[in-house]
Formats: sequence, structure tokens, C-alpha cells
Amino acid sequence: MAGHPTIPKTAPFGDEEIALLNRVVGPATATQRAWLAGFLAGLESAAGGAAQTAAPARPAEPITVLYASESGNCERLANDFAKAARKNALKPTLIDMADLDLATLPAIKRLVVIAATWGEGDPPARAVRAFNELMSDRAPRLEGVEFGVLALGDTAYVEFCAIGKKLDERLGKLGARRVADRVDCDLDFAEPAGKWIAETVKTFAPADAANSKVIEVDFTKPAAPPNLDIVEAEITEHLNLNSSRSDKETIHLALSFDGAAPAYEPGDSLDVYAENDPAYVDELLKLAGLSADDKLRNDLIKSRDVTTLSLKTIETYAAQTGHQYVKALIADGQAKEWIAGRQLIDLIATFPIALTADHLRAVTRPLAPRAYSIASSRREVGDEAHLLVSAVRYETHRRARKGVASNFIAERLKKGGRVRVKLRPNRHFALPAPDRDIIMVGPGTGVAPFRAFVQERRATGATGRSWLFFGDRQFTHDFLYQLDWQEALKDGALTRMDVAFSRDTPEKVYVQHKMWEQRRGLIEWLDGGATFYVCGDAKSMAKDVRATLVHVYADVKGIAPETAEQAVAALERDKRYLTDTY
Amino acid sequence: MPDKELSSMEHLKARSHYLRGNLAEDMADPLTGGVTEDSAQLLKFHGMYLQDDRDLRPERTKKKLEKAFGFMIRIRLPGGVITPQQWLALDEVARSYAGETLRLTTRQTFQMHGVLKFNVKTVLKRINQVALDTIAACGDDTRGVMAVSNPHQSRIHAVVYDIARRTSLHFKPKTHAYYEIFLDGEKVAGEGERDDVETIYGKTYMPRKFKIGFAVPPSNDIDVFAQDLGFIAIVGKKNAIEGWNVTVGGGMGMTHGEPETYPRIGDVLGFCRPNDLFAVAEAVCTIQRDWGDRSNRKHARLKYTLDDHGVDVFRAEIAKRAGGPLEKARAFKFTSNGDRYGWTEGENGKHHLTLFVENGRLRDFPDGRRLLTGMRRVAEAHDGEIRITPNQNLIIANIAPENRETIERLVADHRMAENATALRRNSMACVALPTCGLALAESERYLPNLVTKIEERLAAYGLADENITLRMTGCPNGCARPYIAEIGLVGKGPDRYNLYLGAAFDGSRMNKLYREDLDGEAIVAALDPVFAAYAKERQKGERFGDFTVRAGFVAKTVNGLDFHKDVGAKRTA
Repeated sequence: MAGHPTIPKTAPFGDEEIALLNRVVGPATATQRAWLAGFLAGLESAAGGAAQTAAPARPAEPITVLYASESGNCERLANDFAKAARKNALKPTLIDMADLDLATLPAIKRLVVIAATWGEGDPPARAVRAFNELMSDRAPRLEGVEFGVLALGDTAYVEFCAIGKKLDERLGKLGARRVADRVDCDLDFAEPAGKWIAETVKTFAPADAANSKVIEVDFTKPAAPPNLDIVEAEITEHLNLNSSRSDKETIHLALSFDGAAPAYEPGDSLDVYAENDPAYVDELLKLAGLSADDKLRNDLIKSRDVTTLSLKTIETYAAQTGHQYVKALIADGQAKEWIAGRQLIDLIATFPIALTADHLRAVTRPLAPRAYSIASSRREVGDEAHLLVSAVRYETHRRARKGVASNFIAERLKKGGRVRVKLRPNRHFALPAPDRDIIMVGPGTGVAPFRAFVQERRATGATGRSWLFFGDRQFTHDFLYQLDWQEALKDGALTRMDVAFSRDTPEKVYVQHKMWEQRRGLIEWLDGGATFYVCGDAKSMAKDVRATLVHVYADVKGIAPETAEQAVAALERDKRYLTDTY
Repeated sequence: MPDKELSSMEHLKARSHYLRGNLAEDMADPLTGGVTEDSAQLLKFHGMYLQDDRDLRPERTKKKLEKAFGFMIRIRLPGGVITPQQWLALDEVARSYAGETLRLTTRQTFQMHGVLKFNVKTVLKRINQVALDTIAACGDDTRGVMAVSNPHQSRIHAVVYDIARRTSLHFKPKTHAYYEIFLDGEKVAGEGERDDVETIYGKTYMPRKFKIGFAVPPSNDIDVFAQDLGFIAIVGKKNAIEGWNVTVGGGMGMTHGEPETYPRIGDVLGFCRPNDLFAVAEAVCTIQRDWGDRSNRKHARLKYTLDDHGVDVFRAEIAKRAGGPLEKARAFKFTSNGDRYGWTEGENGKHHLTLFVENGRLRDFPDGRRLLTGMRRVAEAHDGEIRITPNQNLIIANIAPENRETIERLVADHRMAENATALRRNSMACVALPTCGLALAESERYLPNLVTKIEERLAAYGLADENITLRMTGCPNGCARPYIAEIGLVGKGPDRYNLYLGAAFDGSRMNKLYREDLDGEAIVAALDPVFAAYAKERQKGERFGDFTVRAGFVAKTVNGLDFHKDVGAKRTA
């Protein structure tokens, strides 16, 4: 991690370009840098000096690709869009919504927005500020801007693609001209998104794009990406870290690879390709009267999402089967309420009807992988990757429910078994320079990436201080990786640690309460340039932690709440308040 | 004193600045539920043991977890007397912080187990609000002072209880460490550097624990002969205490395989007048302070000091320190060391109810007996006091006649007085596994089932209603005083116990090792022929313990030094 090479300020580039170059050259490996050097030299000689004498290529038309990404999908699609744009005489500028300055919007001629919807219809955490500004009265008029929106979401949530929809509508209201119709994508977004990108690029491209000879080197893309293919890993450790007295089950999973581990960095995740619970599928097939269909059974277990129940599922079910009650449920507007806490199996059990294999395929989507933050550093564990997975189990509508991926891991993966995984890089949750302080808030499985951080900082001898806030239910039974943390405090990889356990006292104590207790220290660290990380539950924890930090600023610095809010917003803008929540 | 190297504990005490050490810092460390070894030793003086759930030990390291630490907190409760208001506070902290259970001990107090380190101060602050503390409830000091719980003699009880309370205060350590560390009290500047803080103890306190108890014949419920220092009230014609017989040198602890360690029955050294009681107590205490063995903790109790120096030398030293010799001991008669159950009426017209609590465990049992909730309701309704007996039972004492019906109803509603058989009512077990760090075998979790099996054999010989004392401990340290039970069972290893027979029913004579290394089945099998013989051969009114000696099953134990002599079964059928 030490000693990133940087392009000097004196280089013949603009500030923005230097920043871009640094993003590429900075983290590049020696191999990648050597390749780049060779490539540029090759490019120069291919042009053979003739490049200078030949008619200069006509300048590409600028296009701005704005993305609001949480898990990284939108960011990847934005990159895909940029790549396609370059081939069509467009000069794309990629902007993370976290960095958006609204004042620059009216000057943009072509605007593409790729936005994810998160949780219960929320924008991705990093995009909250810009989104709110855009929705507010202070948003500038956008006459003269041409735009198109691509929305990503999850039909399992009621507010499907809400953010994409709102942005699309808002841009229109602000006077921008919609030149590409919005497409809303579900978890299986690859195909519809690819199609939208291809068509939209054409819409924006200059008329003679096909004939132009624009040479564009794609500097915005991270250098030589690590292997993002699906690989098989062997499970070398499968441990429930909770005590046998705990009512929780959190699996520590150690994976080893045939050869090198995917080149992950602290903060990255692994997509785990889980399978459905055969018992659940069997019950589903029995209810559907399709128990004899082994091919279907296999298909459902391995590759279909057989649990999610969305409005779309209900509509498809009604259309496919013509079930009168289901139709009535939709017509009465009660479907939205009915699906809350229910799964596909409830639909079939409550509204039985003769079903075919095709019906079942139609009402299910492809089974998506589940991302888990990596809990180890390759610099400490070598070619292994550790995951921390909490088995999700609960009961709704008098039926026991199990999280698909977490219980696949907890119940059906065993030591010595194999599992398919894929690296999912997250460069928005990376460690700062080694001499910078870090504050990490990670209750429950949210602590996973911080184990990676601490291992990494120990292995690299980082000089910055590290402070971890952890919490769970019971100190004695749920203190994930307790011995690791004790060790890290002893050897200095961790400077401080504060813990909050919610079930050990009559009043529930959470990490934000510990933050409040330690508020002076927090401000001291943050004033000294520390980066603040939050990982874990998005629904309440991440919000509580952020709100608490605002209070902390207000209290310690004796400033108004609005000023404190600005202080935290400034941290976010400076990428010193980073979140990875789910 | 032989010039031997002091034990490490003595050095620790000396450098602890009157029991402070690093405790405050260790208690505040948020990453561990435990404290350092040194702090764990000092904790005892503040009434706490650092323990861990031994059931969980095998899985902990594998799960990247430290031991499942929990604190045992013992209340300083002289005479075992508690007000309803105090009870409610203890009930409250037990529910919130101690696994919803309270444990009555064999020394008339409460223990809570499994209290998280981070909750210890909250618990101690709460009980401090009702004038309770845990100072010197464990450690090398004068432990909880015991006093007769007998509800028949209400006037005498009031007097003896008051003396026990004052004795406890008199010998309570003077250091402010407890208040500073656990109650966030003000720091007493420079106290740790002074030499004159502990006027009785000095900087290194006692060489070992020191136990005091007050008995009133005919009840020997406190097992006065098991106390380092015991007082037997001599009650005169006008129902007034004329003075006290003084017993010295009792103590239960020993170590398996080390015959130089042994349990011992206290010797009656003489008689003192009420006004001399504190002088005598302080004399015995300071002799032990000065003469006790501070190099070997297994040889540090007063009983060894007494045997090393001899009774006569010891008696003479008491005379020197107390300002005069003890008088000749007076006659007294004990009838039993057990409790009498059910309702009684005291001399003051108030009513008392003695409740059997199996092994002292108060909780709401899955089978519907709700002892914890029931006692809370009683405490809410009761305007008298509550006493803990030395046999881990409860006395709801001084109930106004008009309240009796209410208490009766509460006891019935919560099924608190299920009819226990004679043997069960006369049985005691220590806590042992999973919390006690010393346990070699199960005890509290094991005894109830064993009693059921033994009772089947007793019933087979028509002995079901006989009062026989049965006491079990998970190790030889003797918390449940097994060596003065007619049937004593002492753990040696998992499901392995030594069986002792032949103690006196009134606690005046110890038992003798009868059989070694028995599992539960073998214990029952070994007792069966003894019961058969008892049913057939016993003389009128003859107690089981006396019978086993007379009928030749075991040799008689006269004193501590012959406890390990002539052991084994002299007769097996």
C-alpha cells in the first residue's frame, strides 16, 4: 500500500486529468504500469508520427454519465456506457453522484443518469446529499440538457426503482429534454441494461459518428482489473462464532482457491452463488403439484429466485394462471399490503391453482448472487478469503423464513466442500494512506471489512491509528472475533476499541451510544484527518450512526445542528465518511 | 513463625495499597469480561470471585472467544437477616444481571452468579442504596458472620443478631477501596500510602479466611464447630444470655491426597462474659493474624495454627491479649444442625414460616414452582424480616398474625412449599459446576437426582421419614460442610465421589471416609446395606451417624488430626 506513484502537478495535463491519471497509475501494479508504458509507446509508434501530420480527428462530443451506486453495479454500467460512448464519437465524463456539484448541471449538454434504488426506496448512501439537493427548490433549471435515465432496483421491494423514477421525473420538471426513455431493471439487469446502453449511446451520438476516427484511451477505468470471473473455492474453515448459548449463528468461512485468491483489497466483497433450500423447493413443488418434475426441481434449487414475492410476481401469477382471487387482490389495490412479509410459497399456498413448470419459471427470476464483505487481508492470510455470514432466520405469517444465501452457507456448506464466488471490488470503501487514522463502526457482521482493515494495517506496518466500534447482542456469547481484537490491541494493529452489547443490560446499548460517550475523542481524531467508516445494517444502524456523528459535532464544537450537518456532509464529500451498508 | 518465604498472595496484599491494585483499570477494560490474576485475587476481599462457565470452556477458543467470564457476587449479610426492601433490590438485580436466579449460601447469605464485569458496578450501587454491600464477603478477612436463625426464641435471636451485626462491622476492613472502585466514591487521598488504615488487620489482612459464628442451643444450625471462631450462647433462667462458650479452630477445607490437610472441629476453649466478647474475638483474630502460616496457604487456617501451637499455649495467649483468662466452659446441649420447617409462633406473638429451598436455589423452575417470583411477592406484602438459614433455607420471620393468611396464599400460589421428603430437607450441596473454579465434580446439579435414588432405598427399609443429614460438595474444600454430615459426599472427579459416614446429627463430630471413588450408582449400592442394617439393628432414638459408628461400619473421628486415620469400610453388610 505504501508509496503510490503520483503524476506531478507539473505534468502537461489539467488538474482533473492529473487526478484521473493518479486514480489509474496510483494503485496499478508493476505489471500494469509496465503494460501502460508499453501501450502508450506502441500507440505513439503506430501513429508513426503521422498522427501529427494527419488531419486532426474531429473532437468528440462531450457526454456526462452520472451514476448513483451502492453495490457497484451502477458504476460498472456507467463504465460500460462510457466505453460504448467512446466508440461513438462521444467523450464521456463519469461523475459519481457523491461528487456532483449541482451548479455544473445546466452546462451539460448530454446527461445520462444510472441510478440504483436501495432499501425501502432510498438513494444509495453516497448519493443522498446530491439527490436531496436535486429534489429541493434550490435545484437549477436544466433547459438545454438532453437526458436519459437507467434505473436499477429490486422487485422484491415495494418501491421498485423509486430513485430512478424520481430522478427521471425531476429532470423533466426542471426543463431537461428526455431523449431516451427510462428502463427499470431488476436484479437480472445485465441484458436490459446492455440493450438500453447500446440504444441510448446511438441516440446521443453525433450523426457521423460511425465515420469519425476518435482515438480515446480509457483512463477512467481502473487499470487491469482483477479477475472478476466466477471461481470455485474450497471451504477450509466453517465455524459458528457465536457461543452455543447464543440465539444467533454467525459463520466464519475461510475459503481457499485453486491457485491464487482473487486479487481482493480490504473493503472488497465476494459474491457468493448460493442455492435454494431443497426442503423449501420440495414444499413449493408439492403445493404446485409438480413434485415429480426433477428437472424443474434442479432448476429451481440452483438458478431461480423462489422466495421473492413482488408485485411483479403477483401480476405474472395472475396473468399466467388467471387466478380470480389474485386478480381481485390486484384490482382492489391490496396486493402491495399482502406481499409484506410473504414469499412466493405463501402465494401458491394461499391461492392454489393448477400450475405448470413454465408457470413457475415465469413467476421466478434468476437467482442472484449475494455479496459478503471480505473479512481478511491477503497480506495476512495469503491466498485465502474469509467471510462472516449471519444466518438470517425469522418468522412471518406463522411460517419460518430463512435467508437463502446465509442459510445455504450456514446449513449446507461444510468444511471441505466447494462454493462458487466472484470478486466484487469496492473502491469506495478502501483504506486511506497508511499514516492516516481510521475510525470504524461495524456492529454485527458489519465488522467483517474491519477485520480485513486491521489485518492489512498490521501486515503493512501502517502508522495511522485505528479505532473500532463493535456491537452485538451479548458480550459473552456474541463477541465476534473477540480473541482477534484482543490480540490486535496488544500488538498495536488496533489502537482503541469500544463495544456495545444490547442484551446485557435492561436498556439497550448500541454503537452510537458508545460514539456519544467517546465524542471528544472522535472529534479529535476527525479533526486530525481520520477517515470514518460505517459497515452493516442500513435500515437503522447506519442512519443512527450518522445522526449521532452530527450530534457529536454539534456538542463538542458547540455549533448549530445545521452547521454540524454540514461538517458531516463535508466529510462525505471529502470521502472521509464512507459506508458499506446493506 | 518459621522463617519461610511468604506466599505470593502475601506480597500481592502488601503491594495492593489496601486492596486497590489495578482493579479499577481492569474493571474498566471493555474488551475482556475478566481481570488479571492479581485483580481476581483482590476481588475476593471485595466479595467477588471471577468465574467462568466451565460448561462452555471446550468451545470458546475455537470460536475465537475468551472464557465465558462471570462474576460471583456475595453479599455481606451478618446473621442472614434481610428486610423486604433489601430483598426487592436483590431480586431486581438478579433478574436484570444475574440470570434470574438468587442463591442462598451455607453461610446465610446471597450469591449471584454470572454477573458481567460491566454490570458489577451497577449491581453494587443498587444494593448500596438499600444499605447492603459485599465488603469482605470473601478473601483473607472475617467473612460473613453467622448467627442462629432459630425462630422460636425471638428475643434471644434479636440480641444475637445484633451482636453478629456489630461483630461484622467491627471486623470489616477499613479501606475505602471498595467505595472508590465500585461505587464511584471519592478517592481518599494518600490512603494507599498510609500504614495505619487497617487497625485490626494491617496491610496484609489475615493469612487466610476467618469465619465467626454465634449459636444458641439447642440449635446448632450454624455448625459452630466448623467456624474458626465460634460462640455458643449460654442462656440463663431469665432468658438472658449469661455469656458465651468460645470455640476455636473449626474449618472444613482439605486437599485430596494431602493428609497434612484436614477438616477440623473447633475446640471449646472456655467461657466469656458478654462484655468481654469483643476483646476475646479480637484476641483470637489477632493471634491468628500474627501466628498464622503466611507461607503455605494450605496450612494457613486457624485450625492449623491451633494444632501447631497447642490448645494450652493458644488459651494462654488469649488471656494475655483479652485482658484475662477464659472461664471454664459451661454445659450446653445441641440437638441438631438442621432446620425445622413450617409455621411456628415466636415469643413475641409473631409468626414465622421456614421454607425448604432445595440447595438454596431461588428461581422460577420450569415445573411451575416459582420461588423467585413468589419471594418477591412475599417481600412486597411482608412487614417483618426474612432470614436465610445456614442450611440454605428461608424463614419469613415476624409475620403479623393478620398477615399470615396473605403469606400462606402467596406461598401456595407460587408452589414454594412443595412437600419435600426427610432426606431432601436435610440435604445440602455447594454450587460446583459450572461456575466454581475449584469443582472437581458436579454437586448442586447432581444431588437432587441422587437424593431421589437414595430415598428409594430408604423407603425400601421403612426409613423414608428419618431425618438424616446428607451433604455434597464438588471438591474437598467443604463449602457445604460435608464432613459434619451423617452422609458426606465429596467430589474427586467427574462422577466420582468419596463417601463419608459417621458424623453426629448435631454437628459435634465429623464423619470418616467409608468408600472412595464411587459414581452415583455405586453410592446407592454402598449405602443400601447400611440402611438395611440401620433399620434392623438400631437402638431406640439412635441417629444414623451414631449408628454407623456403633455398628462398626466406620471408625469414630475424634478430632481433625485423626480424620485421615483408620479410614475405610470396617463393615459392608
